[in-house]
Amino acid sequence: MKTLSIDLVAGIVLLAAALVLPLTGMDYLVGIAFNLAMWVALTQSWSILSAMTGYVSLGHVVFCGIGAYMVALTTGSLPLAASLGFAGLAAGVSALVIGLPVLRVRGPYFVILTFGLAELVKNVIVQIETGLGQFSRLIFDAPPLNSLYLVMLGLAVAVTVAAVFVRHSKLGRGLIAIRENEEAAEAIGVPVIRLKLIAFVAAAIIPGIVGGVMLLRTSYFEAAQAFDPVISFSIVTMAIVGGSGSARGPILGAFAFVLLSELLWARFPQLYMIILGILLILFILFVPRGLSGLLDRKEARQ
Amino acid sequence: MRLLTKLKSLVAAAAVVAASVAQAEEPVRIGYSMSLTGLFAQAAPSQVNAFELWKDKVNAAGGLDVAGTKRPVEFVTYDDQSNPANAVRIYEKLIAEDKVDLLAAPWSTPIHLALAPILSRHKFPMVGNTAASVQLREIAPGYIWFPTAVIPDRVGEELAAFMKSKDIKSAAILSNVLPLSQEIKSFLVPALEKHGISISVNENYPPDIKDMTTLLTQVNETAPDAVIVLSYPADSFLFAAQAKELGIKAPFVLSLIGATFGSYQQALGESVNNMVTVGHWSPNQADWPKAKPFFEAYKAKYNEAPDALDSVLAYMSLEILEQAVAKAGLDKEKIREAVSTMTFDTINGPVKFEGVQNSVTPTSFLQIQDGSLELVWPDSVKTKDFRPKTGW
Amino acid sequence: MSAQLLFAALVAGSLYALVALGLNLVYGTLRLLNIAHGDLVMIGAYVSFWMLSLFGLPPVLSIFVAAALCGGFGWVIYVGMFRKLLATPALAQRLEANSLILFYGVSVILQNCVALAFTSTARGYQYLNEVHKFAGIAASGNRLMLFGVALALCLGMLLFLRFHLFGWSLRAVIERRDAAAVVGVDVDRVQMVTICIGFAIAGVAGVLVSMTEQITPFMGFPFTIAAFVVIVLGGLGNIFAGIVAGFALGFIETFGVALTSATYRSILIYGLFVGVLLLRPQGLFGKAIKIR
Repeated sequence: MKTLSIDLVAGIVLLAAALVLPLTGMDYLVGIAFNLAMWVALTQSWSILSAMTGYVSLGHVVFCGIGAYMVALTTGSLPLAASLGFAGLAAGVSALVIGLPVLRVRGPYFVILTFGLAELVKNVIVQIETGLGQFSRLIFDAPPLNSLYLVMLGLAVAVTVAAVFVRHSKLGRGLIAIRENEEAAEAIGVPVIRLKLIAFVAAAIIPGIVGGVMLLRTSYFEAAQAFDPVISFSIVTMAIVGGSGSARGPILGAFAFVLLSELLWARFPQLYMIILGILLILFILFVPRGLSGLLDRKEARQ
Repeated sequence: MRLLTKLKSLVAAAAVVAASVAQAEEPVRIGYSMSLTGLFAQAAPSQVNAFELWKDKVNAAGGLDVAGTKRPVEFVTYDDQSNPANAVRIYEKLIAEDKVDLLAAPWSTPIHLALAPILSRHKFPMVGNTAASVQLREIAPGYIWFPTAVIPDRVGEELAAFMKSKDIKSAAILSNVLPLSQEIKSFLVPALEKHGISISVNENYPPDIKDMTTLLTQVNETAPDAVIVLSYPADSFLFAAQAKELGIKAPFVLSLIGATFGSYQQALGESVNNMVTVGHWSPNQADWPKAKPFFEAYKAKYNEAPDALDSVLAYMSLEILEQAVAKAGLDKEKIREAVSTMTFDTINGPVKFEGVQNSVTPTSFLQIQDGSLELVWPDSVKTKDFRPKTGW
Repeated sequence: MSAQLLFAALVAGSLYALVALGLNLVYGTLRLLNIAHGDLVMIGAYVSFWMLSLFGLPPVLSIFVAAALCGGFGWVIYVGMFRKLLATPALAQRLEANSLILFYGVSVILQNCVALAFTSTARGYQYLNEVHKFAGIAASGNRLMLFGVALALCLGMLLFLRFHLFGWSLRAVIERRDAAAVVGVDVDRVQMVTICIGFAIAGVAGVLVSMTEQITPFMGFPFTIAAFVVIVLGGLGNIFAGIVAGFALGFIETFGVALTSATYRSILIYGLFVGVLLLRPQGLFGKAIKIR
């Protein structure tokens, strides 16, 4: 309970700082904060499915890509808010459609299946675009950074609140039971299939909208960019570094990632990638509960 | 004794440094972002090398002429991981945080397109380089310009005219599904029809294709006069190797991107002799006196030929900036005015902008002739006559 | 069906089978999904390029250098890292559960070390590119060599597994690790040798592809993908089926494209991959195995 209240205070302070930021007029800082919020939203949504159930998805970018494509298709003909809502809806519906067969597959098979699925969807969309005689889409009159940032921040907060809520709900307990032992959970009457599907769909909606907002930020749609598998890998990296035992893990992971990249990546790009690789390996092996777990230990000692 | 010599040289060196510090003007800082990692990383060196070469040349000549004062040049660079969103952030940082004096361009069309609004918002002019798309024209003219002559509609139009002039009656088109290829194809097909050139094969293929046997068999069955492969680097290599294997006989063969790379001729050698590709620069164009020295300097420094598209455009973009700054100084609005109105003297000949586009450099085609890249179309700039491809 | 297409399918298939063989061996014995496998192919390609450029060593000899280097790398990371990790049950479990992500880290490190050392400029060289014509087929020398070496290695590996005592222990470890230990198989040694062989095969594949493709630090990923598709078709850890699946993929790709259109190539391959995972996760030819 104590940690929860500390987290709550820290969260409110952080949110207040985040809301004040655009007033400073420093585009660059807002740009960093935009990225941070984006990664928090993506990693947090990923953890609702993958951290809680143990179904590790390596294709989370598929929902971003679908969202981005929907916005690219509808922008101009729909108001922007509706366009973004449509992006979330499309991602959610796709999750619902593919969820049942996909979630029957387990373990390493699930991991590579999600990856393959994202690539398949990417190639299908490339094919559709080619068929339409469309090569890439340029978005005009995208809203300014500050507005996009506030939307992204809103998404990050919403998904964080949702993640906390899920963890303390019956749904969350059910999902954890699935992670611990799916057969046993089923035997004691947990509606395994339904819970997994709910988590899968819930985890898909936010990245759909995030994908749409990302598109507005770059104002250019090309399938290879929108479905870049590096995004999926980065999400998993952040979740591992941050720790996925609690809702603050993804936030810590995203912070660490963005901070490290600000320090290193721009100047020493290859070195940055190398350090990232090393950190990833070390965290998997020696800090399985991530930064969040380290903090827990420290709090417990005090 | 040795110690004494060392000391002496040390003192001498210190004196030189002190003298140069005393004289030195504040450096002009030029910021840019490059795709050093990620999807486009392969293209980065040809462009970074050109930038560095330009910097060396300018600094060796005493610095950049800023409306009469010579100031040394330094770069502020970042890696955008081939991601347009990162590039946007980096240019915001370069403008707002690093407060650089000037900007140089990144790589790729999507990143240029993503940057246009940022430049307008900050009223910061930037001369672009490698971007190529008709969509560039949809950008409101203002703070970005594109020196390239590889704009898809003109490429389609000119290529058809070029083929017609060589008595091509039929053509096979193989195209990657990536944007530039598809865009060019969409203009090429109607242009060919207009010139009465029939299209015997018209197929697309994905970027990760590993074998073209089927496509090339189809081509061979229709025996066209021309094979137009709208390819990206990896498939340019694949096509050339398999075309040799399967004995493509067309006298006119074009490969889109990759044929200007040094590694292309290294890997394929004689077999790609007389291959046509897209590009508007050759070191052998005597009307452009700066072309050959650039080629020699690049080769001396990096031990390889400059890429006839990327390296040249990158270098040109800085020459344009250099000449604009010599006239206008570092005031952004004055630079904008200068870039929009001046005629520039570059390694690619004269350049002048109308709106966002270079209105002087003609859309041209290159041919690999015995190891060197020659301009073969149009007649106004050609350095050699077109030679039919006779074998692989 | 033209002989030329058949040849194309065989060449593609033999390469897929070879690349997947290394991945499958490592997965089979260590239960590690090595997503950096394609990066070992990349390293093999660079070895070949530099050996030829610096010392004039032809690729046919670089095969041994690349095999030694990549195999040596396998030995170093096994002895330096995996042996200790696998000895501790908690760590071993963590390693297996996250092997794909862990090797993603390795992949990023390898790519960027190579990019740092050699820049990301594309490289290439010419070797055996003269065209031979026989039986209605036109084939360049390097593709014939690719096919020959890949086929020989795949067959050699099968014979080794079938007739050599060590091959038996290897199969025993793949099929029943615990039982193999009980009957006296030196599991540690089998794992060490397997990782060396698996990595060495990837290095050899790299030499072979470097003769026909451009060489960059980022060329490896498509090979990883192809290898994953193959071992999924064959069933994870099933060595023989994996080799068959490699050739099957070569045929499906070549003739699939011939019957439809090249533009559907990637959709066909990923569609097959996803379809098999959804419908027969144990592989097209495998018998049902317990998924952990």
